[in-house]
Amino acid sequence: MAADKDIAYQNLKAGQEFPPAAFQVDSATVSDYLKAVEENSVIYRGTGIVPPMAVAALALKALINAISMPPGTIHVSQEFEFMATVNTQDILTGRARVSRVQERGKLHLMTVDIDVANQKQESVLAGKTGFILPVE
Amino acid sequence: MPTSFELKEGQSLPTVEKNIVQDNINLYAKASGDFNPIHVDADYARKTPLGGTVAHGMLILAYISQMMTDAFGHNWLSGGRLNVRFRAPARSGDVITISGSIRRVEKEDGYHMIDCDVLCHNQNDEPVITGDAKVKVKANENRG
Repeated sequence: MAADKDIAYQNLKAGQEFPPAAFQVDSATVSDYLKAVEENSVIYRGTGIVPPMAVAALALKALINAISMPPGTIHVSQEFEFMATVNTQDILTGRARVSRVQERGKLHLMTVDIDVANQKQESVLAGKTGFILPVE
Repeated sequence: MPTSFELKEGQSLPTVEKNIVQDNINLYAKASGDFNPIHVDADYARKTPLGGTVAHGMLILAYISQMMTDAFGHNWLSGGRLNVRFRAPARSGDVITISGSIRRVEKEDGYHMIDCDVLCHNQNDEPVITGDAKVKVKANENRG
């Protein structure tokens, strides 16, 4: 999951993998996230635990940064599995792979698989993201 | 602490209700790094077929995760699964209700495998997100 938007989505094929991207969810980001989603569970209060959807959002950000998505792209479906709790000290590595590309008329349907592992190489999150993109 | 309720089929999960406001959408953009103009630029969004800014789909998923955390605590953070479809956008001014119910409970190796239907709908009863969530809970766990 490269930082530059250098991969045009028209060139993506099933099986294509993005370079892995390392990221960390620090306590300031967790605090901003909890405010944004109005989440006040004691589970996150002073524990250093990162909400799983915050991990998911940052993994997806890395993916979106890697692909040049055209205007009109719609996020249509999402699967997640949370395998282990993430802490603010964890250094995470996100990997993404295009698992399906289908052209239907003026639309592309694309599914991208995402995996996030911690610094011990333990999987903490897996996901499958479905997009509809307009054919330009 | 997880909300205490019976793990039985048909049981409702604790409902979450959220007012969608642009300030929260902007805060979410900052936290997630997703500054797509369809979420944060009113002038840009007005000229699109959506006619105005919409909340990030992942923001609404965070609300589902909140409901599941309220219901199942740490079991959701480590062992939860979610599978959803985005049906309609959520806009600033919308009131989104997140609800769910237990569809099936199966006992397996000392665990309850719990399968839930989840739904987010707006103030007009239009579905915004539909799907299912699964979680594994120790059979003898004290859930508050």
